Amino acid sequence: MKNQVKLARVKVDLTQQQLADVVGITRQTVSLIEKGKYNPSLKLCLQICYAVNEKLDKIFWIEQEDFE
Amino acid sequence: MKKITDERLILRNLQNTRIAHVVQTIGILFILGYNFFQGGLEEMRGNPLWLVFMLTMVVYLYLTMSVSVEHEKKIKNPKKSFMISLIGLIIISVIVGYLVSISSSSDGMTGVLLGFILFICCFIPLYYIYRLRVKQKQDFENK
Repeated sequence: MKNQVKLARVKVDLTQQQLADVVGITRQTVSLIEKGKYNPSLKLCLQICYAVNEKLDKIFWIEQEDFE
Repeated sequence: MKKITDERLILRNLQNTRIAHVVQTIGILFILGYNFFQGGLEEMRGNPLWLVFMLTMVVYLYLTMSVSVEHEKKIKNPKKSFMISLIGLIIISVIVGYLVSISSSSDGMTGVLLGFILFICCFIPLYYIYRLRVKQKQDFENK
């Protein structure tokens, strides 16, 4: 699923590895999430949002017409 | 070794376990099949792998039951379906017991015993499903 993780991560000046360490996942998973190839659980979504100081609907929201 | 906290990797590990389980089951079936063709049913059942296989299947079937009860679209009346199944089971057990007791190779006692064993073996899963449905109904009503 498309998301804004990469933008938000760059905004707070974090590398993929740093974000991964903060959230407690691997860099590969961060990469897959950013590419939209892995759908994180709601819990992980929230943890990512806390790490990049953003709201859930800013990062993981897509309009209904863009869905799928 | 560090504990894996990455949910994607945990999921992948579970999927790998599933593949390993499939391979293991195929292996066990091959060994048991080989035993069966070598020395017949008795030889196969004499292998401890048979016990392992049966135990795994029973555990798996019980776990599957809880999934299928949750999968039921309409909440059934647990008592009614339990009573219907119980009556069906009693009839089947009696018929099987009767047929075994009138067969020439066994006496009346074997028939009664076999019917009783069949009844107990089927009653436990029936009761388990009944308990699951009651629990599900309670959860639904609490909502």
